[in-house]
Amino acid sequence: MYNKSYIITKSDLFDLFARLAQMNRVFVPYRYNDNLQFIEFDPSKESAIELGGIRQSQPFKSFLNPARKMVSGKEKNDSGRASCTGQAIVAGVKACDLSSLILQDHVFLKGDCEDPFYAFHRHNTLIISCDCTYAKETCFCLAMEGRPYPTKDFDLNLSLQDNLFVVEVGSVKGMAIVNNYKTFFKDCKMGDLSGRDSMRENVSLQVKNFIEKRGTPEAAAINGNMKKSYDNLPFWQDVSSTCVECGACNLICPTCHCFLLFDERSQQRIGRGKVWDACLYKTFAKVAGGHNPRKHLYERMRNRFDKKFAFFPEVLDYFACTGCGRCIEACPGDIDIREVLKGIVTGKWNKPPHD
Amino acid sequence: MTNYKNPYLFIEAQIVNVTTETSNIKTFTLKPREAIPFRAGQFMDVSVPGAGEAPFTPSSNHNISEKLDFTIMNVGRVTGLLHRMEKSDTVGLRGPYGTAYPIDEWKNKEVFIVGGGVGLAPLRALLYALFNNVGDYKKIILKYGARTSRDIVYIDEIETWKRRAANVDVGITVDVGDESWKGNVGLVTTVLKDSHVDINNAVSIVCGPPIMMKFVTFKLLDMGFKDSHIYLSMEKNMSCGIGKCGHCRVGPYYACKDGPVFTYDKLKSLPNIWD
Repeated sequence: MYNKSYIITKSDLFDLFARLAQMNRVFVPYRYNDNLQFIEFDPSKESAIELGGIRQSQPFKSFLNPARKMVSGKEKNDSGRASCTGQAIVAGVKACDLSSLILQDHVFLKGDCEDPFYAFHRHNTLIISCDCTYAKETCFCLAMEGRPYPTKDFDLNLSLQDNLFVVEVGSVKGMAIVNNYKTFFKDCKMGDLSGRDSMRENVSLQVKNFIEKRGTPEAAAINGNMKKSYDNLPFWQDVSSTCVECGACNLICPTCHCFLLFDERSQQRIGRGKVWDACLYKTFAKVAGGHNPRKHLYERMRNRFDKKFAFFPEVLDYFACTGCGRCIEACPGDIDIREVLKGIVTGKWNKPPHD
Repeated sequence: MTNYKNPYLFIEAQIVNVTTETSNIKTFTLKPREAIPFRAGQFMDVSVPGAGEAPFTPSSNHNISEKLDFTIMNVGRVTGLLHRMEKSDTVGLRGPYGTAYPIDEWKNKEVFIVGGGVGLAPLRALLYALFNNVGDYKKIILKYGARTSRDIVYIDEIETWKRRAANVDVGITVDVGDESWKGNVGLVTTVLKDSHVDINNAVSIVCGPPIMMKFVTFKLLDMGFKDSHIYLSMEKNMSCGIGKCGHCRVGPYYACKDGPVFTYDKLKSLPNIWD
């Protein structure tokens, strides 16, 4: 349907962003030392924009399900309807974030009712994804059945080739951008696609090497082993021995979706909000009277993996890990999800040495 | 500007009556701004506006949707605030959520209900639902255990239940006796076998503290009840009520939407269900 590809130059793309930013909020990745960050597009800082590289530090889910969001309390007499405004265009989203959308959509759009706040942002966010142009040692998307380049769930995709981008259209909304700003887009030639494909192969090979070097198990090898490892208490106690319960691995994970409803009161009004929650926090499952089904840290650690590698495979036939590697970098206790996955398969815990 | 139905908002409800059941349990009768139809076994979130909310199962007859009873023990922050509220104060109600007791499937069967402590609250809603068509059930048996005679909830009402119909049988026991208590003394597990139950044509419904549910379930299995005929109320941290916030997961289920009542066959292979 949209199998036609286009070419856009870097300067035309930034001009396009500037045009789009007149009507929408446009977010693009900026480089800060080793990290990429989504920040609102600023034409005066074009040189730091990087539409390639690897995934950003913050997960893309924060655009669809913000870390903290009021769900009522604008007026004292709330009509019972959620009112939302604003359109966003997010550029530079990587495949490991896109592959979390199936899960986030399942949680927030399916079931007895949808989350109107997520639904609004999901329908009003245009996704301009891009290929990874290199891999990091922590990348393992291929082991989780992902690819270092987007194949679906984008409106437009950009593949960097020197100072050009190959543009792939993935939706009606993406097609509309091409049609509305025709002068920026040129037809794609065969040679441009072969350059793109060889880069994709090259980055895939880098990821593959990292996976092999580390011995990270593939999804197929993990399948079913989470349940078997459930009663291996010494293993889970070892895994959690350096955990400081900060919850960073939960919050930074593109698939983690848990949140807490909270109520607050000021002089003028009362309000209710949603805030991201983390299953490693001690109070996560606590019930009235102080009873806690997961009072030990190892039980909470095990629960995190059980949710990702047993619950979601069972209810959605989907591993709730995209191999983005953010949790590996975020953990102050050096708990490496790849080592935990190895342990789930082998039953042994090899704490990785400090690099 | 788009409008969507917001599932996180509550309906205001006025407290129209407060009954003190025990030293730390009160029954609040709430009149919501609009009627809230529910079925026995479903739960709702009761809020103290601006302070917090907690899940409770209505304890009143589901034929009445204009006024709902909630029997609440003062055990934490939200319940502590609720206990300080009085007649004519306003609270919030969100729900109903979860699945109901399948009482239509139990017609012509013996319904064997086992309650412990404040766990009698959802069972009271169940009893009233069964009483609505009391003749449809072969027997309705309630075995209720409380810590002491002072911890028995609905103490006067229970007397009327005993006289409700010939097929209704109510037995109470307390863990620890005293001079004022003339009835049975002993854990509820010790009185289950006193009743003549046709196990092959019976279902059992259990609600109480986790430790009580565990030992009652084992006793029921001992008596010959099938796994799929034992209905258990799972107390989990149910926050959103719509299967999204992730707090109340039990194996492949969310207690808020797949429960909070589960038959034992669904739970028995799951790890740590009694914790």
